Amino acid sequence: MDFNYDDNQRMLFDMVDRFLTDKHDLAKRAKLLTDPAAEAALWREMAELGLMGAAFPEEVGGFSTSPADPYVVMERFGRHLVTQPFLYTAVIGGRLLIEGLSGADREEEIGMVIAGERQLALAAGSAHMLRSAEDTAFAAVPDGNGWKISGRMPAVLNGDRADKLIVAARTAGASGELAGVTLFLVAADAAGISRRNFRMIDAQGAAEVVLDGVAVGAESVLGSVDGGAVLVETALDHGIAATCGEAIGSMEYLIEATAEYTRTREQYGAPLAKFQVLQHRMADMYIQTQTAKSMALVAALSLDGDPAERMRMVSAAKAQVGRSAKYVGYQAVQLHGGMGVSEELDIGHHYIRLNFINQLFGDGAFHLRRFGALAQAA
Amino acid sequence: MDLSIDDKVQALREEMRDFFAKNLPPEFARKTLIGEKLTKDEHKQWHAILREKGWHVPLWPKEHGGPGWGPMERLIWEEESGMAGAPRLNHVSQDLLGPVLIEFGTPEQKAELLPRILSSEDWWCQGFSEPQAGSDLANLQMRAVRDGDDYIVTGTKLWTSYAHVSNKIFCLVRTSTDGPKQAGISFLLIDMEQPGVTVSPIYSLGGMLSVNEVQITDVRVPVTNLVGREGGAWDITKFLLGNERLMGAWIGVNMSLARQVRERLGRVGADGRKRSENSVLAQRVAEVETDLLALRYTTYRVLADELSGKAPGPEVSVIKVRGGEIMQALSELLMELAEIEGMVHPLSMPHDGVPVVPDELEHMAQQFFDKRKLTIYGGSSEIQRNIIARRLLNV
Ligand SMILES: Cc1cc2nc3c(=O)[nH]c(=O)nc-3n(C[C@H](O)[C@H](O)[C@H](O)COP(=O)(O)OP(=O)(O)OC[C@H]3O[C@@H](n4cnc5c(N)ncnc54)[C@H](O)[C@@H]3O)c2cc1C
Repeated sequence: MDFNYDDNQRMLFDMVDRFLTDKHDLAKRAKLLTDPAAEAALWREMAELGLMGAAFPEEVGGFSTSPADPYVVMERFGRHLVTQPFLYTAVIGGRLLIEGLSGADREEEIGMVIAGERQLALAAGSAHMLRSAEDTAFAAVPDGNGWKISGRMPAVLNGDRADKLIVAARTAGASGELAGVTLFLVAADAAGISRRNFRMIDAQGAAEVVLDGVAVGAESVLGSVDGGAVLVETALDHGIAATCGEAIGSMEYLIEATAEYTRTREQYGAPLAKFQVLQHRMADMYIQTQTAKSMALVAALSLDGDPAERMRMVSAAKAQVGRSAKYVGYQAVQLHGGMGVSEELDIGHHYIRLNFINQLFGDGAFHLRRFGALAQAA
Repeated sequence: MDLSIDDKVQALREEMRDFFAKNLPPEFARKTLIGEKLTKDEHKQWHAILREKGWHVPLWPKEHGGPGWGPMERLIWEEESGMAGAPRLNHVSQDLLGPVLIEFGTPEQKAELLPRILSSEDWWCQGFSEPQAGSDLANLQMRAVRDGDDYIVTGTKLWTSYAHVSNKIFCLVRTSTDGPKQAGISFLLIDMEQPGVTVSPIYSLGGMLSVNEVQITDVRVPVTNLVGREGGAWDITKFLLGNERLMGAWIGVNMSLARQVRERLGRVGADGRKRSENSVLAQRVAEVETDLLALRYTTYRVLADELSGKAPGPEVSVIKVRGGEIMQALSELLMELAEIEGMVHPLSMPHDGVPVVPDELEHMAQQFFDKRKLTIYGGSSEIQRNIIARRLLNV
């Protein structure tokens, strides 16, 4: 067993960290949120750096040698509070392209992502936090050689920037069934698609997406007809593992920042760090982060194993990381006092993102149920 | 021992319900319940409606224009107005400063200032905290130096709620650096509409503007604006914070949030099933509901003691800590029950045509993150626990 990053991952880690230290901080992030051109430029630079390749193995044009590589990228994103959609485009979208396409199509689509010329968003599910495709809000009916898709999702994450949408639509069976969902790769500006953009509370972009009888050809199907939900399950597990990495990066940062703050801020004639109750609080933050980190790494390392085992570990990790992230975020704000709830410090922004992560891809309740069901079946 | 509520109080409760049903504009209630801010004009309208009924300053005695309610009536008011979604009026002026002036003010101060609060002409904010004086309030540095019949005041107040909509501020200022820190602090009333007073906004989580930095530079304040004696602010402060902490139970607002949570739990979720069938969620909701009941009866107990002549003491810390924690838990549940629709940023939502998410969900996340302050301000949860340990447990 070895829980350390290998040489490749070390290089990736250093590369991302150097880039973000140089290009990203709270002020720059605020500017990105109001300047789409600057956001697009940053994305291109990240692609030129080769970052997207971390989500793709060599045989499809990337340089990833371990399914845990996106974890490494996202862990740095978490530390630096980056809101760029590597998760939706490269990790989740990328995984669906890897598993859903083949041959020249696959090469071309993945090539676009690696080059930074393609943004993707997964439109699956209904009003939940992108946790599965079985209850998708979209339906597709056969139309000549192709399909016509209709439906509406109130918030598709990265739907605002996506050039192509991966739409999960019911093509057979009933809502809630794993079989009967088909994935379609659709140009986001296709006739019949309307989008309204906004931001989620954690500042990430999203869009309401409405499809009104959008006609697509048979070649736009990812994977097999009626077999899309399982692909989504896999892709979301990759997304969860990467997001757990993001949470760990954020939590480790919060612990350092809080320790530093309490060492320098004085009240009652002493640094806050001298109050034992606060020392113990920080020790608890550390305990939470370390146990969460173990599970986050286990999830990332289980991604290419047996699917049932993968799901069990990913759900265990997601529940643990969510719980720990909420605790660490809450206490980091608490120990910063008024400064913690000000938008001028990054602490509160981390806290918001960690709460978002707790909900994203299914909250603790959802993953404990999934974990329990899998454990019972085993 | 007896759990029943006095007939007179019960009748008043009915009267309040009836009053809100008939007089509270639905738009104000809607905004308040979903966490949208009312405009100053809307506040004034609501104030006028309450004034007509004589309920605009619920904490005040009759002789000063209030309803003269005892502790039980006030709590009933707190519950009923919270449940009805009645906007909280200019609370710093009425609930914090008003009682201070009534208790400690000079006859001239009462005569001049109370009517201006009653008429909603003056909006006060509370200038206690400073960059170096948060939990350690006695460490405050804002200087007031006596010069003839004036003080000359210089310093910075931080986290001042509502300073951006207020015309007056009451400040704790340092009038002496001799002796214990607490003994050199005075309570001073300052007009904000004059040169030398600058207000800069501070945005908090979720993009809300509610706090500010207030800078005061060489501002002359007449000595007649002193409340109590010079160096006598500490007792006034304890009196004021006691009132603030008792209100920290947020009983009515918490009850209203709990009702919303229960109602949402009964609806069908994104997975097509009733959310109440999700045992984890159902249990969490029941847990907070019982926490809230416990808080409610603890508040009743403190007030019942007050009725029998015992002034509320450090035990209000119990109420302050739990009130904040419970409101955080309830607003978290509301946000989570709304699933992805409860996680949007309200300031970014398009408002052309059909709303992207239902109106009442748009502010869910912002409300949750805004509630984060509850365990920090007005004496943090750590400070409340210090008080409990020291003053109630003698450890
Ligand atoms: C939204 C908001 C509105 C506010 N409105 C007003 C207002 O209108 N007027 C006003 O005067 N002030 C206001 N405040 C200020 C508020 O009262 C202070 O933030 C609060 O007293 C904490 O002070 P601080 O922020 O400096 O934190 P600090 O005092 O620096 O505390 C930081 C952390 O250390 C902990 N800590 C400090 N001392 C101890 C100790 N001895 N033992 C254990 N732990 C300790 C605290 O609990 C906290 O967790 C507001 C604050 C907020 C966030």
